Amino acid sequence: MIHLNNIDKYYDSKFQRTFVLKAVNLEVKEGEFVSIMGPSGSGKSTLLNIIGLLDAPSAGEYSLYDKSVLDLKEKAKVDYHRNFMGFIFQAYHLIEEMTVYENIETPLIYKGVKSRDRQAMVADLLDRFNMVAKKDLFPQQLSGGQQQLVGIARAIIGKPKLLLADEPTGNLQSVQGEMIMETLQQLNNEGMTIIQVTHNEKFAEYGKRIIRLEDGIIRKDVASKIVFSI
Amino acid sequence: MLKHYIKIAFRNLFRQKRLALINILGLSIGLACFSLFSLFTVNEFSFDRFNAKASRIYRVYDWWSFSDRQGSEPSSATPLGPAMKQDLAEVEDFVRINSAGEKLIRTGNQINRIKVSFADPQLFSIFTFPLIEGNAATALESPKHIVLTRDKAIQLFGKTDVVGRTVEIRTGDQFEPFEVGAVAENIPVNSSIRFDILGNFNYVLNSDYGRASINDWNMTIGISVYVLLHEKSKLMNETARLAEFRQKYFPGETEKNNDGSPTNGFGLQPLPDVHTGVNIDKWGASDPKNSWILISIAIGVLLIACINFITLAISRSAGRSKEVGIRKVIGGHRYQLIYQFLSESLLLSVISAVIGLILGYALLPFFNELSGRSLSFSFSQYPEMIGILSGIVLLVGLISGIYPALAISGFQPSEVLKRKLRFSGSNFFTKSLVSFQFVLSIGLIISMVVIMRQLAFMRSKDLGFYKENVVMIDTQSLDIQKNYPVFKQTLKSESSLLGIAGSVIGLGNGEGQMGRGYKFENRVETVIEYPIDYDFLEVLGMQLVAGRNFNPEIASDAISSVIVNETLVRNALGTNPEEALGKEFTSGKEGNRKVIIGVTRDFNFEDLTRTVRSQMFLFPSNFKPNALFVRINPGDPSKALAVLTAAWKTISSDLPIKYSFLDQKFDDFYQKEKRWSNIVAWAGGICIFLACMGLVGLTSLAVINRSTEIGIRKVNGARISEVMAMLNRDFVKWVAIAFVIATPIAWYAMHKWLESFAYKTELSWWIFALAGLLALGIALLTVSWQSWKAATRNPVEALKYE
Ligand SMILES: Nc1ncnc2c1ncn2[C@@H]1O[C@H](COP(=O)(O)OP(=O)(O)OP(=O)(O)O)[C@@H](O)[C@H]1O
Ligand SMILES: [Mg+2]
Repeated sequence: MIHLNNIDKYYDSKFQRTFVLKAVNLEVKEGEFVSIMGPSGSGKSTLLNIIGLLDAPSAGEYSLYDKSVLDLKEKAKVDYHRNFMGFIFQAYHLIEEMTVYENIETPLIYKGVKSRDRQAMVADLLDRFNMVAKKDLFPQQLSGGQQQLVGIARAIIGKPKLLLADEPTGNLQSVQGEMIMETLQQLNNEGMTIIQVTHNEKFAEYGKRIIRLEDGIIRKDVASKIVFSI
Repeated sequence: MLKHYIKIAFRNLFRQKRLALINILGLSIGLACFSLFSLFTVNEFSFDRFNAKASRIYRVYDWWSFSDRQGSEPSSATPLGPAMKQDLAEVEDFVRINSAGEKLIRTGNQINRIKVSFADPQLFSIFTFPLIEGNAATALESPKHIVLTRDKAIQLFGKTDVVGRTVEIRTGDQFEPFEVGAVAENIPVNSSIRFDILGNFNYVLNSDYGRASINDWNMTIGISVYVLLHEKSKLMNETARLAEFRQKYFPGETEKNNDGSPTNGFGLQPLPDVHTGVNIDKWGASDPKNSWILISIAIGVLLIACINFITLAISRSAGRSKEVGIRKVIGGHRYQLIYQFLSESLLLSVISAVIGLILGYALLPFFNELSGRSLSFSFSQYPEMIGILSGIVLLVGLISGIYPALAISGFQPSEVLKRKLRFSGSNFFTKSLVSFQFVLSIGLIISMVVIMRQLAFMRSKDLGFYKENVVMIDTQSLDIQKNYPVFKQTLKSESSLLGIAGSVIGLGNGEGQMGRGYKFENRVETVIEYPIDYDFLEVLGMQLVAGRNFNPEIASDAISSVIVNETLVRNALGTNPEEALGKEFTSGKEGNRKVIIGVTRDFNFEDLTRTVRSQMFLFPSNFKPNALFVRINPGDPSKALAVLTAAWKTISSDLPIKYSFLDQKFDDFYQKEKRWSNIVAWAGGICIFLACMGLVGLTSLAVINRSTEIGIRKVNGARISEVMAMLNRDFVKWVAIAFVIATPIAWYAMHKWLESFAYKTELSWWIFALAGLLALGIALLTVSWQSWKAATRNPVEALKYE
């Protein structure tokens, strides 16, 4: 599904070129759950952003389903964001002026889904995440774990094929973190492809494959040890 | 989608109450100003268009065009109307309108002063003045019929069904009965033709002076002639036919310009142009430039409010960048974000429009007083207002929203979501906008000061006679001729009165004027005439520079002697006062001879937009004073007024005395200037206020954006004054730049404005310095209010939140 070939990302300053990613090759198949690990500043977020079409590589090739997505028009990019991928962030990044319900609903509005269908879809997800009682609260009124659940709900409401999560548990206590990881795993079991960045070895093991980045270079790419039974 | 946007917009408004308040208050005030000023303008340009036949009605005017002077005059001779109808086939009808002054009106034993105008009866078939009682055919059936407006009918009778009732009008020294023929609806405010009581013009023609005018093409008794042309007529453009018509009645006018063009002629001015046609009626028409100045001021105020919106939105963009990032990541297209921000500014603009309209409506009476109009907010009377106002609301929303929308929606999610990125928010663009606000404010302050200085200058200028402590008594409706000598004699003995003298014409604003062309040795000069009593010059303290005053003992003084002013000596005779004594000149065809017996120092009986013209005093034998000038002791005038009132009772038991103070009458010349200074002062105040509100918002945002920096600086030992200086420096710099830009612009504009006055103040440098310091001081105070709060805050508090 995802095919990165020789991806470089660098920043030029006056006298030097700093590489953030160097000759990254990566292939992710449909249904995979990949965890990216590495020290701070190693380029994990940059890599995720490139995959998520939020950032462009400086060199290399990137294709989704064998179609190059490097020089996409703004509109095509937006279409990918609407229909193909969802994002989860460490800082949750919910819109503070909107209720839980509205936050989850917004991607559907952009997609142009009809009001009645939206209601049903949001209600479904709220139900699934046990948040029905909280639907009219504003993000500030929720715990970190609950906020992240809303973040996930928002990311998956459009039924994306690919879920990108940048340290989704970074701001959470371990119990809440585990709950989030279990949710992700469940989504993966339902067939969603997931790429997450994490600093936590334990959480990384939820993935089926772990990639280790160091100074912008992939040092290791292995199947994770623990294979969960269903 | 729109619902979604509006919901979010409302939430944003409530979250940012202070900014919302600044924005809404600013835009509301701006829109209130704009709605009032545009109402004024729409009214100015809507004049007379309510007349169903407006496009076919023309006012006839006289024009002259010599190599050295051009001009025109919209008052016509009495025979003009009938002659045009008779000679020119496409003239369907004509009406002569004579707007005479106030008269005493008696109904029962109640006496009122009301203006009485006269017009030919066909007025009601040419113009559209609906009658609520009676009908057009019989409204002015006989010369003794009159038409009342609804208001006047109610004032006089308490009701409107008064057709057939009697109204007595004072003519000469007695009341004469007239019959109400019809009652008209009140005249719309946007009508050039106005009357309270309208008499039949034939009544005027039956009077002595009316009869004398019937066949006299060389004089006017103050009438305007309007003609109704046939549907397809092009007469207004057919100069040749108009010239031919003129030639028929002015066979003596053979003089031609060098290029063969005629020197005099008739012109036709379309009715809708009458109100604003300054090119034809320089003194009577309302200059459309004023409307444009008002609209520009209103747009300026609106712009300032819009700029507040823009700068505040940009400064706040740090807070919204995250939202933009998220929305893009979850599939929002940039144009959808632009829509969202625009709908926020539009919503704000609509809310402000509602408040602004309510505000404008509430302020209308005040604005009417300020502008000297009696306008009403009526969308049915001014349908254009609907379009103009909704257009401006849309425009305000767009102008305010477009730059922030474009700037903020352009944020890259990978940038704004990645880390705590702070945009300082104030860039060169927003700062130049702040400067622009102060350019306008400073410019208006300068203008206000200059206008007020000019007003004060005109009021205090020595006019060449006493205007202080002079009471002018109106004796028009009195048979004063009989009583004058007695009246004068009784008052002469009073110690509180210093002198009394009569004149045929009153002085100051709203008084008439007489003048005609005289033939001097080698040129014709128009001379303004003042028939006066022999002691007039002495009572008003006018100085003779040569010759002598009138003397009732000398018989010839009442026939041919005149006293002229220095300007006449210079312009018409080209000599000095001594030489001028004994010189003779004659007027037109009567050939009556005038001999100069004295020359006065120049004096200004007219307003100071004009230079002194050639003027002279006469001392006619059949003297009937219409105004008495009484000089009283300085100080409290009440005793003198009591004496005057008592003396008045002895000569007129039934009529109340009507007097005014001469200095007041001269001040009234400058009502227009006074209005302008008030309007500009208000606008300037509003501009400064709005600009400062913007500053409050900007500083408070700057303080938020820089709170960490301030905290760190303070922890490291910065003093309060240093922190304040750091925060204030920026704003002060931009206000200073505004001052540099505003000064030359204001100087130029005021220089132009002063050009319309013959006598003017100087544009002193201190005016500019004062305005600059004022703006700077206000800005500094405003900014310091916020920065003081920030600088004195406990730094730990600020750092805790980061
Ligand atoms: N605009 C930029 N200009 C220069 N260098 C940049 C820019 N953006 C990112 N970098 C650099 O790229 C490197 C990788 O950043 P990235 O955010 O991908 O790291 P990360 O692995 O996600 O780290 P962390 O675990 O701390 O989130 C960093 O060293 C950062 O300084
Ligand atoms: Mg990162």
